[in-house]
Order: sequence, then C-alpha cells, then structure tokens
Amino acid sequence: MTGMLFEGFGVTLQIFFFTLFGSIPLAVPVALCRMSKIGIIRTITRAYISIMRGTPLMLQMFAIYFAPYYVFGIELTTDSKWQACIVAFIINYAAYFAEIYRSGIQSIPRGQYEAAEVLGYTRAQTFVRIVFPQVVKRILPAMGNEIITLVKDTSLAFAIGVAEMFSTAKALVASQVSMVPFAISAVFYWVFNFVVEVAINWGEKRLAYYHD
Amino acid sequence: MSEQNNIPAVSLVGAKKSFGENEVLRGVTLEVNRGETVAVIGPSGGGKSTLLRCMTLLERLDDGTLRYEDDVVTEGYGVYADKRALAKARSHFGLVFQNYNLFPHMTLLQNVMDAPVQVQKRPRAEVEKEACALIEKVGLTGNEYKVPCQLSGGQQQRASIARALALNPEILYFDEPTSALDPELTGEVLKVIRQLAAEDITIVVVTHEMAFAREVADRVVFMDGGVVVEEGKPEEVLVNPTQERTRAFLERYSG
Repeated sequence: MTGMLFEGFGVTLQIFFFTLFGSIPLAVPVALCRMSKIGIIRTITRAYISIMRGTPLMLQMFAIYFAPYYVFGIELTTDSKWQACIVAFIINYAAYFAEIYRSGIQSIPRGQYEAAEVLGYTRAQTFVRIVFPQVVKRILPAMGNEIITLVKDTSLAFAIGVAEMFSTAKALVASQVSMVPFAISAVFYWVFNFVVEVAINWGEKRLAYYHD
Repeated sequence: MSEQNNIPAVSLVGAKKSFGENEVLRGVTLEVNRGETVAVIGPSGGGKSTLLRCMTLLERLDDGTLRYEDDVVTEGYGVYADKRALAKARSHFGLVFQNYNLFPHMTLLQNVMDAPVQVQKRPRAEVEKEACALIEKVGLTGNEYKVPCQLSGGQQQRASIARALALNPEILYFDEPTSALDPELTGEVLKVIRQLAAEDITIVVVTHEMAFAREVADRVVFMDGGVVVEEGKPEEVLVNPTQERTRAFLERYSG
C-alpha cells in the first residue's frame, strides 16, 4: 500500500517541480507586462491574472483539457490529461508569482534606480544587478507561502484523473475500506512541506547578511 | 584639451521646469568652470534640488539649454539628445545623494567597483586597486567587506562619495550631503568634500551649511523662487549681500 502511495508521490513531485520550473521564470515577463508602460499590455496581463486567481484551478484544468477538442476538434490522447494538468498549474502559479514579483519590484526605493541611472547603468543592468537581487530577498517569505500551497494543490490533479498521490490514496481508501491511506498521504504532504520550509529558511538566512 | 580650458565644465542657460502648475525653475543660468567649487544655497522649495536633478538628467527641463563641454544634452524646448549622447553627457558627472542610495546588497568594495566594471567595462583588477585607494581617501579602509547597513550614516555618505569618484567624473554634484546626518557625523563628510574641493575636480554642492559654503566655495549661488537671486564670492554673498531676499534668508538662518 505504501508502495503505491510512493508511486503516486512520484507523480506529485513531478507536478510540483514542473510547475515551479515553468512558472517561476514565466512569472518574470508576466510581472513586467503587468507594469508595462503600454496600457493595452497592462490591461491584458491584468485580465489574465484576474482570471487565473479568480477561478478555481480545478476548472482551469478542465478548460485546458477540453479546449483542444471543443475549439479545434483535436482528438484527446492518454497524455492529454497530464499535459493539461501541467499547463494549468504553470499558468495559474505564474499569475500568483507575477503579483509577488510585482510587489517586490515596486517596493524598491526610487533612489536605487536614480543612483543606477546617474552611474550610467542601462535599464537591463539596473534590473539584473541592482533591483533583482534585492527583490529576491524581499519576496522570499511570500514565495515560501505560495510554494507550500502548491505542494497541497498538486492533489487537485486528481479531479482530472492524474494518478498523483491523493488519487492513489482515494482509490486505496475505497478498495481497502480504511482511512489509513489518507492518513499516510497527509504525513507525506506534511514531510514534503517540512523540507520546503527548511529550504526557504535556508534561503532567507543566506540573504540575511544585509537589511535595508 | 587646451581649447576646452575656456569653455565651462557645465553650462545651463535659461532653465525652466514646472511640476504641473508649480513653476520650480523660472529661467536659471548656471555655468561652472573646470576646477571651480560652487555652493548653491537658499530656502527649501527654492528650486535647488530640482536644479541639481535637472543638471544630472534625473529630471527633464521644459526649456533651456544644458551642455557638458562639447556634449549637448538639450538645446531648448525640452528636446533632448539621443540615448547615446545622454550616456556620454552622464560620464562627465557624479552625484552624491542626500540619502546616499548605496546598493544595500553589495559590500562597500562592490558598491565602489560595480559601475566601473559593469558600465565602463574596465578590468576588475585595475578597478579594485583604484577602489581601494578611493576607500582609503574617504577614510574607510578596513570596511571594504562591510555592507552599507553595517556602516554609520557618515560612513555611508563617504562610501557614496567614493562610489561616485570611481567613475572619474569631472564634476561632482552633492545634493545636501549632510542633511540626513546627525550633527556629530557631518564633520567627517564635510572634511572629505573640503579635501576634494582643494583638488582639480569641479564641485557643485547644494547645502545648508553656511560656514562650510563660505569656507570651501569659490562662488556662492543664492536661489529663491526658482531663480538665481544673487551670486558671487562667498564673502560678498554671505557677508555683504546686495539683495534683500538674500539678507532675509541669511538672517533667518543665523538667527
């Protein structure tokens, strides 16, 4: 039984890491578009973020799963569920991360930009060398929060039929008429998040060498 | 180089700047010669800081011309030169902010070295040698690997002077360099500026330190209401002002 849960946990880990590796970089251009000087880009990005945050991730998964069939008439394959799940998670979390990035970027004092400008840094250099490193420190606690939520959100993939740990636990509960699989899966999530907490704390400590 | 000796290091003529309805600069002319030390004094809201922000390209003029030797920034009507020309103009000057604006995530040494390495693309080893010399010059040797939050206000301001000097500017602007400091820390910063004033670098300092202005400046400029009310040698402007507004300001200041 634990073996099956382990197998499911492997899928959970995959959803987790695919989502992070996809959404953490994707959120950078999203945040920049959200702060764009061009009104239309800002408005579109705002609408995207609003929809992503304002509707359930579960429904977004369904929408992405069925859209190719209903809109383009593309035949769904066995891989479609997995792909839809990952895409939905990435674009959903990118919206949340983008807002965290934006809050971090906007919290950097004007004086930092002005000092960089007078010293002759280009806009790109100012972002990479001055703004970004300071933003990382400022957003780390908020990112930790969101990443911990992601660990638990991976269980939503069960709704679309991806066999991650929660789906497995649910199946085991039904077949064995026992709540133990749920209890074990809860321990798995908690241990996983414990590791995430340790990692975030380590990051915060590493950046504690200065304060503003 | 020799034909440049006669043209000012910076020339600002007829500068106008408004923020909405508020006319902050109403036609200011300020030319500073190479090696000169100019102190700009005057009441708050008189346009001193805006003047400095316009001269350092942090704000754009609505009208008036600005040039650094042969490098034209604007020839009027708020029309500015292209990006490359502005970058070249920027290389003429450095600016020391009232609030230092050091980069908090970098050590003192990194703060001083980063722009020469990243902006001027100079070799790291050479820059590091110069940076250490500058750090020594501002009296901060031994603090190279400290981050700004480990330094006192006075030390931070001296660090920001070293950072500005690292790019070898011809002109160094100071925007109320001691206004954010406790009185007992202003001395160490003024000492560094005094030392620089004796060298051939051109200095423009906006200050409320009248005694300091009198001592270091070759010329004092009194600004009020967005215009230069009076300018001249420190003993003229600060001791025997010809304008009523200057006199009133100085009385309020010493009183």
